[in-house]
Amino acid sequence: MEETALRVTNLRKSYGEVHAVDGVSFAVPVGRVFTLLGPNGAGKTTTLEILEGIRDADEGEIEVFGQRVRRIDRATKERMGVLLQEGNFEPHLRVKEVLRLFSSFFRSPRSLSDVLREVSLEEKENAFVKTLSGGQRQRLALGVALINNPDLVFLDEPTTGLDPQARRNIWSLVTGLTESGKTVILTTHYMEEAEALSNAVCIMDHGRIIAEGSPRDLAAQLGRETLIEFVAPPGKEPSPESLGPSCKAVRRDGDLVVVETEDLVATMARLLDWSGTAESALAGMTVRQPNLEDVFLSMTGRRLRE
Amino acid sequence: MTELRALLAAELRIFVRDKTSLTFTFLFPLLFILIFGSLMGGMGSAEGRRLGLVVVGGDAETLRTVVAQIGQLETTEYVAPADLDAAVTSRDVDFGLVWDGRTLTTVVDVRRFEENSAYEEIARGIASRFNLAIQGREPLVDVEKVVEGSGASADWLTRVLPGILAFSVLSAGLFAVAGHITSMKQRRLLDRLVVTPMHPVNLVAAVVVSRLGVVFASTLITLAAAIQVFRVELHVHWVRYVASVVAATVGSMGLGTAIALVVRQPSSAGSLANVLSITMMFVSGIYFPVEIMPAFLRAVSAAMPLRYMADALRYATGVMDMSPARFWATNAVLLGLGVALLPVLSRYLVRAERR
Amino acid sequence: MSAVLSIARAQVAVTLRERITLFWFLVFPLFVLALMTLVFSNVGEDGGDMTFEITLVNLDRPSPGGADFSSGIAEALRHLGEPREGGEDPLFALHVPGEDVEPHAYLDEELAALRVGRRAAVVVIPQGFSENAARAAFASGETVSSKLSVHTSGGRTSSDLAASILDQVFATVDREILTRLGLFDAGRSVVLARREIGTQGREFRYVDFLLPGVVLMGFLTAGLFSVPGTILFGREQKILRTYWVTPLDVPRYFAGFALGHVALCALQFACVVLLGRFAFGARVDLLQPVPLLYLVLAAATSLAIGFLIAAVARTGNAGMAIANIVNMPMMFLGGLFFPIGELSPALRAAMLANPVTYLADGLRASTGAEAGVLPPVATVAVPLAWIALCVGVAAFRLRLDEKR
Repeated sequence: MEETALRVTNLRKSYGEVHAVDGVSFAVPVGRVFTLLGPNGAGKTTTLEILEGIRDADEGEIEVFGQRVRRIDRATKERMGVLLQEGNFEPHLRVKEVLRLFSSFFRSPRSLSDVLREVSLEEKENAFVKTLSGGQRQRLALGVALINNPDLVFLDEPTTGLDPQARRNIWSLVTGLTESGKTVILTTHYMEEAEALSNAVCIMDHGRIIAEGSPRDLAAQLGRETLIEFVAPPGKEPSPESLGPSCKAVRRDGDLVVVETEDLVATMARLLDWSGTAESALAGMTVRQPNLEDVFLSMTGRRLRE
Repeated sequence: MTELRALLAAELRIFVRDKTSLTFTFLFPLLFILIFGSLMGGMGSAEGRRLGLVVVGGDAETLRTVVAQIGQLETTEYVAPADLDAAVTSRDVDFGLVWDGRTLTTVVDVRRFEENSAYEEIARGIASRFNLAIQGREPLVDVEKVVEGSGASADWLTRVLPGILAFSVLSAGLFAVAGHITSMKQRRLLDRLVVTPMHPVNLVAAVVVSRLGVVFASTLITLAAAIQVFRVELHVHWVRYVASVVAATVGSMGLGTAIALVVRQPSSAGSLANVLSITMMFVSGIYFPVEIMPAFLRAVSAAMPLRYMADALRYATGVMDMSPARFWATNAVLLGLGVALLPVLSRYLVRAERR
Repeated sequence: MSAVLSIARAQVAVTLRERITLFWFLVFPLFVLALMTLVFSNVGEDGGDMTFEITLVNLDRPSPGGADFSSGIAEALRHLGEPREGGEDPLFALHVPGEDVEPHAYLDEELAALRVGRRAAVVVIPQGFSENAARAAFASGETVSSKLSVHTSGGRTSSDLAASILDQVFATVDREILTRLGLFDAGRSVVLARREIGTQGREFRYVDFLLPGVVLMGFLTAGLFSVPGTILFGREQKILRTYWVTPLDVPRYFAGFALGHVALCALQFACVVLLGRFAFGARVDLLQPVPLLYLVLAAATSLAIGFLIAAVARTGNAGMAIANIVNMPMMFLGGLFFPIGELSPALRAAMLANPVTYLADGLRASTGAEAGVLPPVATVAVPLAWIALCVGVAAFRLRLDEKR
């Protein structure tokens, strides 16, 4: 019984001086959702395209279900399903014609009606691709990725450009995949998506993995901190010393003042004192736990969505 | 004024960077002259025709004498009709005559139907002289041909050239609207311009001026090439030439506007314009004379703007005579058609797309 | 369904559903067939059903009792000014000066009208014509003739046509006069005949010549535009790459693509032949084994050329630009619509390098309707060589995805 669906070792790809993928290694257990998280240009899509077989690596080893593969060949593709970040279907084909076309590429495709039901496109089976909304097109793309009942599914930025409702639809589909034992490799630059869907996250930046772990573990790297955020004009923020020893840092994020503390109650008391003195209303105050965005920010000094 | 200048500069840049437009506008007229000049050279002068002669019986000398009297005819004699057939097929001769003492047979390669009318005319001429000569008679009636007006020495290429120029002007003007502008509309590029304070009239003006510039450049290049390379002799009257080109360009843009208004989708305008321009190319008497077409097609031809553009340019280049009244009336109508539709084109630019 | 059949089927569906593609693929060849057939439906009949505006100014005043030959000519022309059988307009609309009109002034007016195209020809019979003609008839040893002049308009084909018809009229009149004078024995008149070469015994009809040409034009257009268009725009719009992440491999894709292309060509062929046969009475039979083989060869050649363009062009628009530039010369220098006449050396070389020339010649010859001009072996070998060359270049250069 295979335990590791995908193992990547020291993957490299360069374009001249630019190292798009710079020594990436990771392993994905069977039946998990593994996410590559990072800003645009981090190398996520390049990595995925190498694994999908439409780009060649300069160096590195790839093992799919325990088999070392030099190139992603036909036999490997029979077990894979891919949703490309940039990929389109012929606008003048109908939804069911697209599915029928792609099902002919595989040895054991599923029935069209099954797939249509899974991605909730039954009512649109006769619609032309050009008439579909963004969300419907993405569901079709997902349907195409699942047409062969793959063991390994690659989803490259599956919800970029979708409205919140469409995004949630895709999320619930993805969650359903692992319930049926599939392994999912996902890329995204949306922190919430990584947090909501993933068992494991690799944060990538400039072609390298800079952090790896479950979303909770990664956030916990920032310690048992709590974050207090409020809106204040520039120049009007408290100093860390004035908020007591449990306050780790005070930083600015545009209009937001972010206070990092290990003791919420103590720091809050001092903060309220300060607000009285400084005549700051602590507008829009929120208290939260650190997330992956904060992890990335602390490691790189940049936001995921810059 | 700056707005107009900027739009004009942009229009010219766009045109020059579009290889397809450049090729069609500058290269194709030259190509057409080359190709059609070679293909249809037979429909005109009878210089250097090659005759194959076979005499299998009867009076050979009389026939040879009559043939020799026909000027500009290169004659080769063959022994048997089969040899003549082979020579006609392989194009060693253009046509043949076989005399067996009773029947004079004209032999033609039916696939050269474009040129055969000229050969058969020569053959008829020989036949009628020979018919008399064999009974010792000469023709009583000597026909003197006098060519009146300019174009007296016009060979086929000289006659066709103004038509080719007219067609390139038509294409430039037509596709400036039913191609270029409609494509901008289709790709929503006009929306970006229209939400600014830009006057649509300035965009129209920029397109008109840029096309005029392009058209003058291309027709002058074609003229120069024809004169230098193909030794065409023309007497260009520049005032008439400019008037014809301006009227034809603006008129063609008017026609393009009419097409843009008629089609449901901007992207269909180009196809319709293509169909119209190809139809016009064939039935306007540019490459094939209108006279050879059936009556209803001649009627269609009379409705084609290209026919009148070509006539005006023939007059302007001294290839054919025309009454000045008719010339100026033609240009006035073409210009009027275009000018009348330019405001409509302005409105088309800003009109919201029908969905 | 196998991948190859699926791809072929999808390709046919997409082509027939895109309005613009459908227009160029189906409507345009039908349109060209109809237009060209109609334009040349009169071919072989000079002037066809035309009416020419002719002026006759007869300045001859034969002496009473003397020979009057000018009247004979005037009579012949007047006869041609009568309506033809079937009530059609006469060949000549004849203009003559009225009784009280000064003929020289009238002549000047008519010549002015001739110059601007309102007349096709002006015939002037000079004074003393009949007298000269009588002397010519009975002269022995001298070469005497009586001149008349035909004025034509420079640069106008209608004028040339009218003049050529007038030539025939005068030749006929000439003979009649001599016959009436007893100087010519009509019974010993030379019999005139005409023999056509190149028809294999059948009557030549332009539509039978044109139909194979239009079929080939359709295939050529499909190959030049549709093939690179589908590949290049498919690549640009990231449609093709969705295939490459599946087990579909490039050979199967091309097999399906080729099959779809052949199916579309077959559809096009059927439409053109049906129109040609039922609307224009074409009799040329393309449904024989050898012509069909040429058609398959033509479809394959157009497909290969399309691959070459797709391999050479960087973008879809560049590909279409190349196709546009190459299309016209390939068609017109390939003998599709007109037989190739005498060409300058440069054009002849282009014609002989053009695979369409060989396909057209081979196809027409194989229908038995005409004799071919080129060696039969060449009509197969040259297109095959082109296919090999194009496929060879495409195999090296054609990229089916933008990134690598």
